[in-house]
Amino acid sequence: MEFNIKRIGYAIQKDIILLKNTGFMALAVASGILFIGLFFMTRGDDYLSADELMGLFGLCFVVLGVFFSFAVLRKSHNVKSNHLYFALPISPLERLTAIWLTTTFIHTLVFTVMALLVGQLAIIMGGIIFGSGFHWVSLFSESYVKLVKGYFIVQPIFLCGAMAFSKNGIGKTLLTLLLIFIGTLFYGLLLFSILNHGYGVYPGDLIADQAFTKASKDFSGVGTWFFTLLFGPLMLLVTYFKLVEKEV
Amino acid sequence: MLQLKSLSYHYPKSKTVLDNVSLTFAEGTIYGLFGKNGEGKSTLMKIMSGLLFPKSGQCTILGQPTAKRLASSLQNLFLVPEDFELPNLTIATYEKIYSPFYPAFSRHLFYELLQEFKLHHQEKTARLSFGQKKKILIAFGIATQTKLLLLDEPTNGLDIPSKSQFRKIMAEAVDQGRSIIISTHQVRDLHSLIDQIVILDNCKVIFDHSLSEISENLWFGRASNVPNEVILYTETSFGGKAVMKRLDQEETEVDLELLFNAVLNNPKGIQLALEQVYHGV
Repeated sequence: MEFNIKRIGYAIQKDIILLKNTGFMALAVASGILFIGLFFMTRGDDYLSADELMGLFGLCFVVLGVFFSFAVLRKSHNVKSNHLYFALPISPLERLTAIWLTTTFIHTLVFTVMALLVGQLAIIMGGIIFGSGFHWVSLFSESYVKLVKGYFIVQPIFLCGAMAFSKNGIGKTLLTLLLIFIGTLFYGLLLFSILNHGYGVYPGDLIADQAFTKASKDFSGVGTWFFTLLFGPLMLLVTYFKLVEKEV
Repeated sequence: MLQLKSLSYHYPKSKTVLDNVSLTFAEGTIYGLFGKNGEGKSTLMKIMSGLLFPKSGQCTILGQPTAKRLASSLQNLFLVPEDFELPNLTIATYEKIYSPFYPAFSRHLFYELLQEFKLHHQEKTARLSFGQKKKILIAFGIATQTKLLLLDEPTNGLDIPSKSQFRKIMAEAVDQGRSIIISTHQVRDLHSLIDQIVILDNCKVIFDHSLSEISENLWFGRASNVPNEVILYTETSFGGKAVMKRLDQEETEVDLELLFNAVLNNPKGIQLALEQVYHGV
């Protein structure tokens, strides 16, 4: 299997330059939204906390991350540009690594720096306009780590969707997720009914509630392991095979 | 260098496009891949560059299947597609971001070719015509110095002076010992450039001969006072040219368009004429 760090670097450079204009535009919009939101937050209690910053930051960070993932893979579906895209001397593994690094690490880094700058600017402007006190912006908290971790787990699903669907990718990915969720819910309900019907336990019963609580506690360990360590890589693996199998 | 063995292909829920195609492409040769519209030339080019995967048979470049799209294989080939879109960048930026993927890329050659095509490296691709964009891609393809250069309808979109410029540049490129495959239905554009002719018809290779074999064994001109059995094909128009067995006549320049029509109309006759004389019968 071919894996060349230099080529990954070239691919990251290529993707960033190709999406430079779109990226600047998206960052400018996100900066504007963040600034307006944070600016008014400084008015009330004189202080912009990390948690206050987190809400708006999280929304913009995840939404733009999803759009970014789709934008990076858009060329692979364009009939006029995918010849040059797939004939480029880079192995599918190197290509996927470059895309993943760009849409996770680089996106997080750029967005965090941007949020810190905008947050600080909002504090300064809040001080000038509302007379709120000056302080350094803080972003790094437990909820920041949770958000970034969550994004790293969820992002491969959208990367997979971006590779699998050539048109209306975001909508189709969300619809697929919704169908999987509903399917899992019905499967759980069906399993519960089969296993507990004979004992006369129904979802509304107190004993059923206790059983659910116990099951979710028992499952939480497995679920955490599955979703944090396996789900993301599994989605990346699916994306890899989609890249390998893609014909133009 | 590039080998196709019993290769077949069909698009999903569609009829066969290529059926049991076997070909070998050697270094230092310019191949003309001819065929009518929809005969599978572009499909074959895509298979050669790993963009489509054969349904059966194999396509290998330097022993590696192109369908695997290995970086080491793709470094040996460059495809100029018939229809394409270039990102909206300056030509210099385009070169800067794509050239590192090709280890043998010559920046000097690229900028020299741009000059020859009268393009400036600070020009933005979005402001250029399709023909100019094609020139960028042709210049880039030559500058990659890959062992195999695939050009799908390269003269489409080029103006008349650019077509002769293109022929000159291509002739120079093949001196570097690379193999060039040019797929086209405009056979006249490649006059004096081709070394070997491959013709596709009805999903199959019906003709695969070098130009020297053709000029040695076939005669192109007006048919006057020649017996009918010598004539292999004649144009229907009054005073039209014909393709004949050369026999003891002087060698003539190969008329690609006439040959193409002759092969499509009388493939067996042409094949037989080439084989008979070629084997000294």
